[in-house]
Amino acid sequence: MRYKSQSVAYWYFAVAMVLFGLQIVFGLLSATKYLGPDPLLYILPFDVTKTIHTNLLIVWVLTGFMGATYWMVPEESRTELYSTKLAYWQLGLWTLMGVTAVIGYLFRYGTGNKLLEQPLPHKIVIVVVMLMFLYNIGMTIRKAGRLTTTEGVLIGGLALSAVLYIPALLHYENYTVSIFYRWWTIHLWVEGVWMMIMAGFLAYLLIRLSGVDREVMEKWLYVIVGLVFFAGILGTAHHYYWVGVPQYWLPIGGFFSALEPLALAAMAIYAYAAMRRGGVRHPNTLALHWTIGSAIFALFGAGLLGLAHTWPSVNKWTHGTLITAMHAHSAFYGAYAMIVLAMITYALPGLTNRPPGQNSPLGFWAFWLQVSGMFGMTLAFGTAGIGQVYLERIMGMGYLDAQLKIQVHFLMLILTATVFATGVALFIYDFFRHRPQFDVIADGTVDADPAPAGDR
Amino acid sequence: MNKRQSRIFAIVATGIAAVAFVGLTLHSHTRFDELTNAQDITPEVTAGKDVWHKYNCINCHTLFGEGAYYAPDLTKIAQHRGEAYLKAYMRDPSKFYDEQRHRRLMPTQNLSEVEIDNLITFLDWVSKVDNQGWPPRPIMVTGGAVNVAAQGTDKALTQSQDVRPVSPDNDPRALGEHLFRSATPVCTACHSLQPGVQLAGPSMAGMAQRAATTIASPDYAGTATDVEGYIRESIVAPSAHLVPGDMFSAAGVSFMPNTYAEALTEEQVDQLVAFLATMK
Repeated sequence: MRYKSQSVAYWYFAVAMVLFGLQIVFGLLSATKYLGPDPLLYILPFDVTKTIHTNLLIVWVLTGFMGATYWMVPEESRTELYSTKLAYWQLGLWTLMGVTAVIGYLFRYGTGNKLLEQPLPHKIVIVVVMLMFLYNIGMTIRKAGRLTTTEGVLIGGLALSAVLYIPALLHYENYTVSIFYRWWTIHLWVEGVWMMIMAGFLAYLLIRLSGVDREVMEKWLYVIVGLVFFAGILGTAHHYYWVGVPQYWLPIGGFFSALEPLALAAMAIYAYAAMRRGGVRHPNTLALHWTIGSAIFALFGAGLLGLAHTWPSVNKWTHGTLITAMHAHSAFYGAYAMIVLAMITYALPGLTNRPPGQNSPLGFWAFWLQVSGMFGMTLAFGTAGIGQVYLERIMGMGYLDAQLKIQVHFLMLILTATVFATGVALFIYDFFRHRPQFDVIADGTVDADPAPAGDR
Repeated sequence: MNKRQSRIFAIVATGIAAVAFVGLTLHSHTRFDELTNAQDITPEVTAGKDVWHKYNCINCHTLFGEGAYYAPDLTKIAQHRGEAYLKAYMRDPSKFYDEQRHRRLMPTQNLSEVEIDNLITFLDWVSKVDNQGWPPRPIMVTGGAVNVAAQGTDKALTQSQDVRPVSPDNDPRALGEHLFRSATPVCTACHSLQPGVQLAGPSMAGMAQRAATTIASPDYAGTATDVEGYIRESIVAPSAHLVPGDMFSAAGVSFMPNTYAEALTEEQVDQLVAFLATMK
């Protein structure tokens, strides 16, 4: 690392790792409940494990985003952070919020509103933390007087995430209206501003890892952001089809959702082209794996599998089945989990005492086990979902009867989830294997982008 | 395209989409009241929505197809099952499904009677929201074939995984549902519980309402005076009243087997009646 204050990123990453591990525990627990019977029916019922599983996902990914931003902004703006103290307070408050929320869910203390289960006090803490974070980053950039495009896109994404959380704080009498605005937070986060954050990290990593020209990368970054929002904003409509809204949301949702993979395809091509064109070889090939992997898995999971069931006449049959779980798992993993893991893998050699050859075989095992495990889980959910649609909605079999007929897919789900969990365990072990060590390196020899030279 | 042009593209594309989205949102607000019957959102409906949230129902079930896919979608449940069934179910779900056989069970929630009433009112409001007719009606091709096949083999139907074993102290409606799936010949061979799904016999969805309309109409020639009586009559003497339609009867005789009066005990018929009377 080049700036002393970048060391705060390590602690964010460490918290993210712990929460990631916990998320997988609750995920595995939920998966086994699909097979049943459930001996924990009255201790940890499915609704509790599922709530914790999804909430931990959101919290750890956001922790990773914040850590990665604290790593990236000093480098991009070429300055120390405005306040490391504020950053540590923010992490403490955030972790406290996360831990108490999870404990609360164990006792069913929550709003019971899917993905927005956080009780009001926790929601307020989330807003406060976001404001602390944006203030710290904003002041850092202001102090430096240098804002790069990658940074600008990233900060824009983070600021908009905070703004779009507001509809989640309001109360609606009408359940349909409440669903309508719930997606302003959830959809516009994951298919809008989080994409912007991902694109910002992706551009940063590609510039660093492949050494391609910053001007070219930043130009395409704008094109990708334009495509994300053009398709993503109106693509929100695909959540509206069946909840009691006017009919015109169907064709609009179908059309713009069909455009959504464009931005993801552009991102994958962009990553691949950067890798091909980059003249300078970066020693951290593991980070390159995660970076390119994220772009490709996002295109597959978020783009193509999303497209597979967002067309209204298809969605009519697949909506509310395990097909959605298929898409959700691979989309979240490819687009968000993997980009955070890429940022961590890239930053880690600078934050720990690991030897210069960072490409430990363990890291590659973690990568391939996770990718193949998640691919298998996607297939398990997908095939279970197809069976479910056929038995339940075409044959007219009852819900529980249909679920019994697709048990073999849940077995496959547990198997592939175990492979995935092994990959996660290896990644976490590899993370904590080396002691944190924060040496400031003055020159830029470890990077393909020979930064602080010149104003590029 | 240079960097400046690509930046303009990003801003303009985002702007156009955002303006269109906000515009459509404003327009949707002018239609929400009508599409969701907002005038029917009584304090009970709101209280029922709070019950729905309080017990975290959405993290197993789905409503409008949104939720956790671990348990059935409840968008139209209030139209498919009558209040009596829903009440009995919510008081103790374990009386209706078996964990060993179905592998999943809803934990008993210990809802108060008021909470149950409010939740049913809320689900009733949900079921009437104009949501483009989702979920889709199943296109039945083979109907109750699964159960018929099971009955045709040596294996008794009670061994089939589709049917929950019951004990005599269960709710009569649960016992009736069990009989519906296990009586000989099995009812599900000809009757579906899905609205609009006609097999050899009429769908049982909406049974209670139809029975009330039938006995009130001047064409009714049977002897029943109430809904329960009509259902009982239809089971034990199918030809007493013929459901209109060439698929169901010919020359004044119903196609339904008339063997149930002997095959079933008085008590079993009562249970079937109790179950079918809940089919709204």
